[in-house]
Amino acid sequence: MSERRPYVRPMPRDWWARWPFRHYTVRELSGVTIAIYAAVLLSGLVALLQGPAAWDAWRGWLASPASLVLHGALLIAMLWHVRTWFQILPKTMPKLILGGTPVPQRTITLIGTSVAVICSSALVAFVLWRPF
Amino acid sequence: MTERADKTIELRVLRYNPVTDEKPHHQSFTVPYTSDMSVLQGLQWIKDTIDGSLTYRWSCRMAICGSCGMMINAEPKLACHTLLRDLAPGPVTVEPLNHFPIERDLVVTVDDFVKKIESVTPWLIPKHPKPVSEGPYNQTPAQMAAYENFSACINCMLCYAACPQYGENPKFIGPAAMAILQRYDGDSRDGGSALRIDAVHGEDGVWGCTAVGACSDVCPKAVDPMHAVNQNKMNTALDYFLRFLKKRDTK
Amino acid sequence: MPHAPEKRSNAPIFWLLFGAGGTLSALFGVGLILVTGFLAPQGIGIGPDALSYENALAFTQNWLGKAAIWAVISLFFWHAAERLYLTLKDMHVFSDLGRRLLTYGVAAVVTVATAGLLLAIGF
Repeated sequence: MSERRPYVRPMPRDWWARWPFRHYTVRELSGVTIAIYAAVLLSGLVALLQGPAAWDAWRGWLASPASLVLHGALLIAMLWHVRTWFQILPKTMPKLILGGTPVPQRTITLIGTSVAVICSSALVAFVLWRPF
Repeated sequence: MTERADKTIELRVLRYNPVTDEKPHHQSFTVPYTSDMSVLQGLQWIKDTIDGSLTYRWSCRMAICGSCGMMINAEPKLACHTLLRDLAPGPVTVEPLNHFPIERDLVVTVDDFVKKIESVTPWLIPKHPKPVSEGPYNQTPAQMAAYENFSACINCMLCYAACPQYGENPKFIGPAAMAILQRYDGDSRDGGSALRIDAVHGEDGVWGCTAVGACSDVCPKAVDPMHAVNQNKMNTALDYFLRFLKKRDTK
Repeated sequence: MPHAPEKRSNAPIFWLLFGAGGTLSALFGVGLILVTGFLAPQGIGIGPDALSYENALAFTQNWLGKAAIWAVISLFFWHAAERLYLTLKDMHVFSDLGRRLLTYGVAAVVTVATAGLLLAIGF
């Protein structure tokens, strides 16, 4: 009368590029750009070891329009990383219970993002006001 | 009750008969509906008046039994909890839950899901077993809040249909099983953590998750399985480094 | 018990490095890019000597400076490595070994190389 023949649908290979997963893939790739910024710093370290001439060449490149465009793009990606990192934070940390009720995830995201704003601002303020 | 079903909406339903069909195909039905009708009621109208062979699971009609999960316009939804009026003017695509084998029409194979739930030791293992005569295991509201949302899972499998990593790797433990694991792990009366961690510390356990987050987005009961999985990444990571300090039987 | 014991994954090592790099960059990344990408090279709010060879050398020869540079470069790479590894896996690009070498492998090389550079620059 009846026969079992379960049909398995194939998983599309490009699911990561499709709705609703595009957002996730962009989030992951924004994290990858952090290494590009670290590579810029690493190249500076190599130049520093090579001596004053190499260092000045690196400094020159750092002030160039190409470097400005690159750092602009890196800044946008980093801002996206900050936003998404703290959106996920309440899901990766242990559940926070205060006064018998769970702390809302929005509150944790807000606190995390605020701490990041304070840390980055403090870094910039430290550099600006430090007598060189 | 007095409203006349004078509006219609097209339902494109994925049909599959294992006896006669090589592979699934869509079939369209024009369904008259009133503003209070769910997708499930639309399917019931088709079954009652057009094609009695249309096969789907349902039971409670009130979003608590977890039987009628299906892909509605490519999103995992409970058919009883999705109103046709919100999908007008249509057409509405209705397909069986993604990532599961299709048995017939909208019915999928649940064997794998049930095995996964069994694998996480989904019951309380008392930390300090005591006889009934010594009274109940008490718990404060704060201790209950630690796991309460995870206990709301109705096993509807929407989260598995939403999870691309489960679609890629059917061995992945998946969202709901982890939520159920955390329901017991997070319980102050429970002492079974070590046992459960051992069940999910592999590549197909918590580490199969890449924090896509779709599971928590589609959950009809706000269980937040993504939180359960990722909390246990930390637990598993701590266990990875601290296992040498713990005195435990290693088989 | 009904479950078969599963082989323990080494993922925690990479996941914790990913988490450390993600947190460090989320907290200070924007500030760092503003300073090294815009303020210092353009001389905005900072004297033109800020990025002089002598200043850079002095900062890098300080043991605290060394620690900060090493942490930032290596952890940022480990963070990106984990994300790129999983994304390449999602995209079905390369074999698993190829993906690991390209991501974790590069991060490991960078970690050692940065330490080497910092030691070579001296104290």
